[in-house]
Amino acid sequence: MILAIIILTPLIAATLSLLVKKRVQLLELFTLLSVATCFISSIFVVNKVISNETYSLVPYFSVNALGIILLLLISFIGLIASIYSIGYIREETKKQIIGFTRVKQYYILLNLFLMAMFFAVATTSPITTWIAIEATTLSTAFLISFYNKSSSVEAAWKYLIINSVGLLLAFFGTLLFMSSSMSISASHNLISWNDLLTNAALFNPEVAKIAFVFILIGYGTKMGLVPMHTWLPDTHSKAPVPISSLLSGVLLNISFFAILRFKIVTDTVVGASFSEGLLMYFGLISILLSSFIIYLQQNYKRLLAYSTIEHMGIIALGVGFGGAALFAALLHMIYHSLAKPLLFLSSGNIFLKYSSTKIEKIRGAFLAVPITSAIFIIGFLAITGIPPFGMFLTEFSILAVGITNHPAIAVIVLFAFVLVFVGFLKHITTMVFGDKPEEIPVGEISVWNTLPLIVLVIVLILLGFYLPEPLKILLNKATLVY
Amino acid sequence: MEQLIAPQFLFIAGIVVFLTVIAMHLIKKSISVVYFYVIQSSMISLLLLYSSFVRHSFFVLAVTMLITAVKIIIAPGFFLRLIKKNELKFSASSYLNMPMTLIAITIITAIARSRFFHPLTVINPTNESTLLISIAAMLISLFMIINRKGALSQMIGVLSLENSIVSFAFTAGLEQKPGLELGITFDIFVWIIIATVFVSMVYKKFKTLDVTEMSRLKG
Repeated sequence: MILAIIILTPLIAATLSLLVKKRVQLLELFTLLSVATCFISSIFVVNKVISNETYSLVPYFSVNALGIILLLLISFIGLIASIYSIGYIREETKKQIIGFTRVKQYYILLNLFLMAMFFAVATTSPITTWIAIEATTLSTAFLISFYNKSSSVEAAWKYLIINSVGLLLAFFGTLLFMSSSMSISASHNLISWNDLLTNAALFNPEVAKIAFVFILIGYGTKMGLVPMHTWLPDTHSKAPVPISSLLSGVLLNISFFAILRFKIVTDTVVGASFSEGLLMYFGLISILLSSFIIYLQQNYKRLLAYSTIEHMGIIALGVGFGGAALFAALLHMIYHSLAKPLLFLSSGNIFLKYSSTKIEKIRGAFLAVPITSAIFIIGFLAITGIPPFGMFLTEFSILAVGITNHPAIAVIVLFAFVLVFVGFLKHITTMVFGDKPEEIPVGEISVWNTLPLIVLVIVLILLGFYLPEPLKILLNKATLVY
Repeated sequence: MEQLIAPQFLFIAGIVVFLTVIAMHLIKKSISVVYFYVIQSSMISLLLLYSSFVRHSFFVLAVTMLITAVKIIIAPGFFLRLIKKNELKFSASSYLNMPMTLIAITIITAIARSRFFHPLTVINPTNESTLLISIAAMLISLFMIINRKGALSQMIGVLSLENSIVSFAFTAGLEQKPGLELGITFDIFVWIIIATVFVSMVYKKFKTLDVTEMSRLKG
């Protein structure tokens, strides 16, 4: 029942928003209530998953340990982004950049986007997972072209085409995986993830390898792995920042989740080394390419987008290394889901103040928006893996496993980490310190734009020092599965 | 693997899908690309119709009708209206010239018949040739998306890729349950609407559908 609430509430909120004629406050209220309900409901599911391994609603919906972690992340980041959206969208409306119709469209699509993500995580069928992930592409395309500028339309077109092609390849891979389970198709049930695992012994190893390659290329496109990443920097830099924070913080994890689910089937058929080798390769080139571009970047939203590619690479690499690195990779995913929205949202405040995304045009942000700038610096330290933040521990753990089994890769990655830190440091100091331009007024944008950042930074810092027992149990369970 | 459709019919369908993708590459006018897409989709609809009669299911027939409506009537209707509305008397140009395109198609077809894809024929050894033809159609559709400069051609390339995958699924005996097919069709229907809106937006903003003119994004 709780899963039904989580999936249906955003749909109800979107439907109600459709009926709103004039009052923006109603749109805001529906979204906030919807996401808060989903977040609270997700918390209730945690104990059920801990005690029963999975929590199911009819045969078609079920969440396991990693599933509930993702539901918590989607709803929590969704809540933070929704609160932030209130201030952000109001500010854009005040500047007459957007009107009521756009605002209404924004909140409806935001709710549909959240629903599609909840659905993708909770469904038990690989095909409905694919449908839901495709639905995330469709619901976000108009959010990316939200400002209706040439550049945002271009970004949205790239996003639509590249992701659609990627997802069609993932669909092909999914069909190949299902070939082993078609014998049960006489029954009325859909082929589930469990069916794929149960029938893994019937799966031809060569077909399994080809199928996994298609899955990795397909969902890897959506996850932003190099070389299929080309849509990501454009999209993340052109979408409204609350949407960028959701794209970067949670959407990419869902594709990663799909890859992991197919990985365990592939591992059962051909052994773990095949999928791990591929993940290591894609992870390594993602980290390397993004680190160079981060160093040379001139646009701070694109900087954050490339940082996302780097972190997706780190997660893929961690899974590729396996063993203890897998636990670290999953924990890294959680930290990234908190740190990246923090950076995107604080960069949104900087954008609202300076009306530019170019690093060279931002000077003295610390004087203009002191709280935001302090949080931006904390976010930078967290995302580059500086102690005592959690990402230091996860990156260290991944490298520790890597140095034992794949020393050359570990050394290259270490070099990339240093490059990323130097690049970020160079850009952040340019933006935050120095004298601000006189025409830029002093003061935070609004409480709606500051409060979510404060909550997010507190959670990020706390989780760096203390991992709650339920989360630890869920992570351990997830590590055992994948 | 349960095989509902006669291998001969699957082979003809696979060949039609394969040839229409190649024709889409060879034809310069975008309106002709739309017509070839209609022919290709008609073949897929015939496969679905055949399947619905074999399964003796009214629901399958209803889903087939819906898919037929989306692929043969609604989607081409959108494309033709788009061309008429924006007076798009354009030709869909490509990055590679015609001889190079033909060479690339030949290489892609050879790859589809290579050792890399050959293991996939174990899914349904009876239809080995048709499976490999469907894979070739998939790869050539993918190449069309990459090679064509026109946004509309790219869009039709995506839909052609989808048709090729459906053709492969039928040949391999991997048809999905009608409910799922309905979901997939709905997804594609929404995709077509959104992509069509975007093509209009691209034309309004850039006064062309040539994607090489889209260069506002840097870095």
